[in-house]
Amino acid sequence: MDFALTEEQLMFKEQVLKFARKEIVPRVREHDLEARFDRQSWKRLGEFGILGMHFPEELGGSGADVVTSVLAAEALGEAGVDGGLTLSFGAHTYLCADTIFSHGSDAQRQKYIPKLARGDWIGCMGLTEPGAGSDVASLRTRAVRQGDRWILNGSKMFITNGAIADVAVIYAKTDPSAGHAGISAFIVEKGTPGFTVSRSLNKMGVRTSPTSELVFDDCAIPVENLLGQEGNGFLMAMQTVEWDRSALLAPFLGAISFLIERCGTYAWEREQFGRPIASFQAVKHKLADLKIFLEAARPLVYRIAWCKDQGRPLNHLEAAVAKLFIGDWSLAPTNDAMLLLGGYGYCHEYDVERVFRDSRLAPIGGGTSDVQKVLISRLM
Amino acid sequence: MNFDWTDQERSLRTRVAEVFDESARQELDLMEDAQPSELKEIVSKYLKPLAGTGYLELAVGLPDRGGMTALIAAQELPARISGSLFLSVEVTARIFAGLLSVPDAPEQIREILEAVSKGEIVGAAAVTEPALPDSAAVMTTAAWPDGDHYLVSGRKDFVTNGPIADYTAVVGLVEENPAVFVVEAGSDGLLVGPRIRTLGYNGLAVSSLELNECRVPRSRVLGPFTDGAVLDGIRLVQDLILAVASVGLMQRTTDAAKAYSRSHERGGKPVAAHQEIRFKLAEMLTLTHAAQLLTHRAGWMYAEAEREAETLVRCAKVFAAEASERTANLAMQILAGQGYVWGNVVERGYREAKYAALAGTTSEIARMSIADDLLTRYR
Ligand SMILES: Cc1cc2nc3c(=O)[nH]c(=O)nc-3n(C[C@H](O)[C@H](O)[C@H](O)COP(=O)(O)OP(=O)(O)OC[C@H]3O[C@@H](n4cnc5c(N)ncnc54)[C@H](O)[C@@H]3O)c2cc1C
Repeated sequence: MDFALTEEQLMFKEQVLKFARKEIVPRVREHDLEARFDRQSWKRLGEFGILGMHFPEELGGSGADVVTSVLAAEALGEAGVDGGLTLSFGAHTYLCADTIFSHGSDAQRQKYIPKLARGDWIGCMGLTEPGAGSDVASLRTRAVRQGDRWILNGSKMFITNGAIADVAVIYAKTDPSAGHAGISAFIVEKGTPGFTVSRSLNKMGVRTSPTSELVFDDCAIPVENLLGQEGNGFLMAMQTVEWDRSALLAPFLGAISFLIERCGTYAWEREQFGRPIASFQAVKHKLADLKIFLEAARPLVYRIAWCKDQGRPLNHLEAAVAKLFIGDWSLAPTNDAMLLLGGYGYCHEYDVERVFRDSRLAPIGGGTSDVQKVLISRLM
Repeated sequence: MNFDWTDQERSLRTRVAEVFDESARQELDLMEDAQPSELKEIVSKYLKPLAGTGYLELAVGLPDRGGMTALIAAQELPARISGSLFLSVEVTARIFAGLLSVPDAPEQIREILEAVSKGEIVGAAAVTEPALPDSAAVMTTAAWPDGDHYLVSGRKDFVTNGPIADYTAVVGLVEENPAVFVVEAGSDGLLVGPRIRTLGYNGLAVSSLELNECRVPRSRVLGPFTDGAVLDGIRLVQDLILAVASVGLMQRTTDAAKAYSRSHERGGKPVAAHQEIRFKLAEMLTLTHAAQLLTHRAGWMYAEAEREAETLVRCAKVFAAEASERTANLAMQILAGQGYVWGNVVERGYREAKYAALAGTTSEIARMSIADDLLTRYR
């Protein structure tokens, strides 16, 4: 066993931290309050090279390994970037672009990846439906082949970036009688007739990432927009799940470091009963619990990234364990952080309540904690 | 980064695993009800073959901290099978021997260390005192020079292996400074108290010790030391051992609950078919993975002397200890009435689980020190 990060990995993480603190964090509060996607930050993320860092250079990436990608995502959270922007980034890069990269034809890669990696285009991924959440295989969006086109009908729910995306990876049934094996994935571009975004949801947290319902009404796409093999959609969705549970979880880790910094600083500044609250054991106890959770969660996330870097294909158990742990065990420490700041913790300007709200998504999005338990108990 | 075992770690694990076959498991179960004389026999019986694997020589003392990652990889095996044996062995090999492993130790001490690494002796460490639990720097046990001897007097509490040790490393003060006195069993002036009956780990022999002007030759004394480094180092190792013990306990109780939930039927199907049961198992496994990886990383930090090593060891210890209590509790709930019956793995684990949170650096002290370390950065 060896937990050492390379010099380059550590340096890169440091660069991301600096970049994010300077270029992105100053606008976070305003956008969170207005529940507005921050296009300027998005552009800066693209210029910095974070949006497609693990893609090869010829497709606009920098060939980063997964561990480095995870560190970059962690650094964004640590700097204080809101969970909305990091979710938009995660859904764009890992759920959409990476699926096109991993399963697409050469032509599809050439067409989409460079634009997505630069952030010129925004991507989204649609799996969940109003009637199909945890039970993914029950999805009802239908794709029917008609000559040289696929016709899509149905709707998608809770789609991150839905309202702003230029391109979507959409899962639909091509063979309703075949269960899992009847699901296929398609690339749908914005503006395709029959594809509309019906509404964006008003959410508790991750407010700067638009979450939308997508509607497909006799939406015709060219036959070459099928992604990978017909019937392979479920497998592809399962593969993105590992990203979901490593690179998309990493900002939550970072956010805990951010809370530790906020709480540590506040504990010295705030005086009650004639001394800094840092001197009270109950305050220290909360700070310690944040740290203990952070350090327990960290290797779980790094492990999935490392497995991916080793070329190990599916690490379902490890992924589910990390997701469950971060989802459920982050609830108490993020609550503690808010309490540590007293009434100020409840107010927007102190950022802690935002992290509290954002992190409530962890046990829901990308498969609920219950679903992780279903998986873990089956796999063990 | 490497989440796999290295070749060295894997081969050590294989050698250690061979020591614990099925009959070993059964025999180790008997430790619970054994008398000290039998305990000594059982522990000695396992120390010998363990010595052959190299297990006893790893990460002994601060100078040898680099061996900690390989050691933790191997420790998981005995810790999973028998907490009592594991702790008894570790007190001998890491705590007792660790206290003795200072550079330039006298010849006699080096001979004792050699005997430990060969699995020939059982050792104990006497640090804690009745009224002063958490600081080795302030204690009442004291020693005075007397020719080429020291005379040591004082009282020590909760000495693991006390009743079965061939040698005990007693920490006492020479004027202001701590020193380690290696006292042979049966020495004049050494009084081993009655065995203390504890809630769990009943296969451990624990007692108090009293020293009344016990004469210890200088050739068996280390120090006095001008700082507390040796003792602090040992405290850290002790906390790591308790974290590993907790992970072993979690694995042991999870294994038992899983097996039971599959074989025990109600309403025509195994109870594992119900989410109320299987989700508990999922939680137990998740906590076990988290505690295990955190402990690995803390051990690695200790081995590498990373700046945050101390904090990480404390995090690992607090987390693993508390997670093991939770896991044992869930396991008991799964076994229900069967679990509540005296003497099964889960009932024993339930009693044992409390130990790690209150032994070594207590969870309270650990949390305060984790926070203090953080707070110095933000002042
Ligand atoms: C902000 C946000 C962003 C999202 N982004 C995307 C996205 O980009 N793309 C996308 O496709 N999806 C996205 N999702 C959807 C997300 O993946 C789903 O919300 C999630 O999978 C849960 O589905 P559901 O909401 O339909 O809940 P349901 O499946 O209806 O679950 C309801 C409750 O029942 C429990 N439950 C369900 N089945 C079981 C079972 N078998 N055993 C025990 N308990 C069970 C659940 O745990 C939950 O408590 C997003 C969601 C949110 C909130």
